[in-house]
Amino acid sequence: MLRRIASHLFWTARNLERAEWRARLLDVNYHLLIESPPRDAQPWAALLAIFEERELFAQCYPTDDEASIINFFALDTDNPNSIRSCINTARNNAISLRHYISSELWLDLNTLYLNAQEWTPEVFVSPGVFAFFADLKNSFYRISGIRHGTIPRDLAYDFMEVGIMLERAEDVARMLDVKYHFLLPLLEDVGGPIDMLQWAAVLRSASGFEAYCKRFGNAIKVENVVEILLFDPTFPRSARFSLEMLDTSLDRIASQAPEPSPPLSQLEDLTALMRSRRSREAINSGLHQFLVQIQDGCAALGDEVFQRYLKSD
Amino acid sequence: MAATVSETGNMVPVWAAYKSDDSVFDEMLDLSLNPRSGCEPVTDALFSMPSAYFAEVCARADAMFRRMGVTFNVYGAADGSERIFPFDPIPRVIDADTWATLEAGLIQRVRALNAFVADVYGEGCILSDGVIPRDLVLGCPQFRRAAVSIKPPLGNFVTVAGIDLVRGADGRFFVLEDNLRTPSGVSYVIENRVVMTRLVPALMRSCRVRSVERYPADLLQCLMEMSPTGRSKPTIALLTPGPYNSAFFEHVFLSQQMGIELVEGQDLVCVDRKLYMKDVHGLRQIDVLYRRIDDDFLDPLVFRPDSLLGVAGLTAVLRSGNAAIANGIGTGVADDKAVYAYTPAMIRYYLAEQPILPIVETYLLRDPEVREHVLRHLDRYVVKPTGASGGYGVVIGPQADENELAATRKRILRDPSAFIAQPVIALSVHPTLIHTGSGSGMQLMPGISTFAPSCSWACVRACWPAV
Repeated sequence: MLRRIASHLFWTARNLERAEWRARLLDVNYHLLIESPPRDAQPWAALLAIFEERELFAQCYPTDDEASIINFFALDTDNPNSIRSCINTARNNAISLRHYISSELWLDLNTLYLNAQEWTPEVFVSPGVFAFFADLKNSFYRISGIRHGTIPRDLAYDFMEVGIMLERAEDVARMLDVKYHFLLPLLEDVGGPIDMLQWAAVLRSASGFEAYCKRFGNAIKVENVVEILLFDPTFPRSARFSLEMLDTSLDRIASQAPEPSPPLSQLEDLTALMRSRRSREAINSGLHQFLVQIQDGCAALGDEVFQRYLKSD
Repeated sequence: MAATVSETGNMVPVWAAYKSDDSVFDEMLDLSLNPRSGCEPVTDALFSMPSAYFAEVCARADAMFRRMGVTFNVYGAADGSERIFPFDPIPRVIDADTWATLEAGLIQRVRALNAFVADVYGEGCILSDGVIPRDLVLGCPQFRRAAVSIKPPLGNFVTVAGIDLVRGADGRFFVLEDNLRTPSGVSYVIENRVVMTRLVPALMRSCRVRSVERYPADLLQCLMEMSPTGRSKPTIALLTPGPYNSAFFEHVFLSQQMGIELVEGQDLVCVDRKLYMKDVHGLRQIDVLYRRIDDDFLDPLVFRPDSLLGVAGLTAVLRSGNAAIANGIGTGVADDKAVYAYTPAMIRYYLAEQPILPIVETYLLRDPEVREHVLRHLDRYVVKPTGASGGYGVVIGPQADENELAATRKRILRDPSAFIAQPVIALSVHPTLIHTGSGSGMQLMPGISTFAPSCSWACVRACWPAV
């Protein structure tokens, strides 16, 4: 497979995954607000902080009101990581993949792209935030389903998988960070009803609420939320699960090389990091630090993958 | 007995309004509005359709093309937008006998053109024998010095040709021009057929249309036979300028149908006079390159040094015989508009046959006497620049105003060799749904791939109203 093609596959998949997580975060934040006391209006500002996009936002909007921030995160093409921008990037990469992916996958992705061009801020009024995000999430599920159902398990599948899983591990860590580090500035609230409401919301945004209840019952404990979102080997949106899938795909890719290649050092470091901790230790020794380590590890691994397989000059 | 428009006109108001015009040739209906030979199934089907259905058919075709992503890019559109290919659901019928003649004529023509290219970059016999003036060929803007003495496998320079045909007022076919560089359009023919078959399956069956489906397989066979390395499974790649090229859809389509790699210049590298592509696991050698970019952009070491679309060193690879290319470098010398005037002579010279397909009478303005005559009656002629293709720079005398004619006269006098003149041809017309009620000037654009013994193939490249 051409390096350029591998790169297009990687970025198509990665941008779709990124768009999906952004949609999940916006959705959950919005619904969090409905049941929160008025003073907790800062989830929106927290999102800007966690994505390190405060500066860019300030350049584009005079005030950080809810409508502006939703627009910035969902629709604004001046923001390269807005949902619409990610969909555009995914689709523009996929233009060069028409002969590598199934026509069904292209058609659905292209339809999503065409729809995204029609979005205006009015979609948050009608059909409304809930319906809009529910619909969007279904689009992503459909694309994911088509990918699973139509792409042969060869290099094309694996390079997409690498893009998805790298983004997923990073995003789930980032989402935990949003809650843990930014959402709750008042110490007396920790363990209180608002705190629990927010943790439940985090679980829901990762589609992990039912998986959580199944394993731990429906009493929300921080430790257990961290356990399921970071360390659970069976939950498909946990960091550990994502890294294991990543490992499998990278193994399959390497196994097709004419000569054996040394293992990716960043991957070994990341898996070692995940194996070295349990959720209690991760929290006690500073969850934010741990989450930052995961995010940095993913970035470094992304760079290593790029150097070995994708870079073409 | 087929129904005539006049009999069924009240059923189909659209058809009742159809006017015939005796100054042009209508390909479907004669002057008394009876269907021509082979067109009966089409006219029968059209007459039995409720007129409201026409709009629905158009809309369904449109939706299908958009869903299938059959698009072309428009150069210069600010948003890099994609348009779907204009498609008219009324099929253009070429009956089997007519096609047999066309096919023989096209094969004959492309054999001669290929022999000419091989000769020009080889021994130059046709020039030494004075059949075509040497200065006309060597001075042609598409002549490529870099191609001299490159010997492609099987002597195959023109692997794919697109020959444009028109019909005059008497219904006879003429060759309008040859496209021998990187002709495009065949994917639209194949996709059009898919759409037509889904839109009107019964009609397609009753017409017993010849299949166009085999084209990619035949082309692949041609390309494989050109491999110079003798490897049992040659590696073949299609070189595209990328997703923003107007024909990118076709590049994707063909590479997918042939199961070959679709590469861009950045994917290629030449090492030790061999051509490679950059694979995730290292370099992989390419045996045959089906290129869809122009000569000028192929190799920055030989042609335009600023080109990022090609790959440095490709010409040296070809010269060393370590890879083959389709079409060959410099084939444009044979589709020059002045060289066109000599194509009947070429056919006689190389094949010792009489040309089957006539060309349009062509005046070379480098000849002072001819020039004087044409300049005096400029408003009666079509003037074309010799080097360009696809209608660029064409001035149609009867439609041009005084200023345009004066400007054209000036341009001709400045560089007479750069222009030819032809009489105006009243192009044939055909009923369409898109411009309901009136005919549109037609061009037939067949494609032909040559030279594999198993593979003398031709098909209608596209049918759409010329604008």
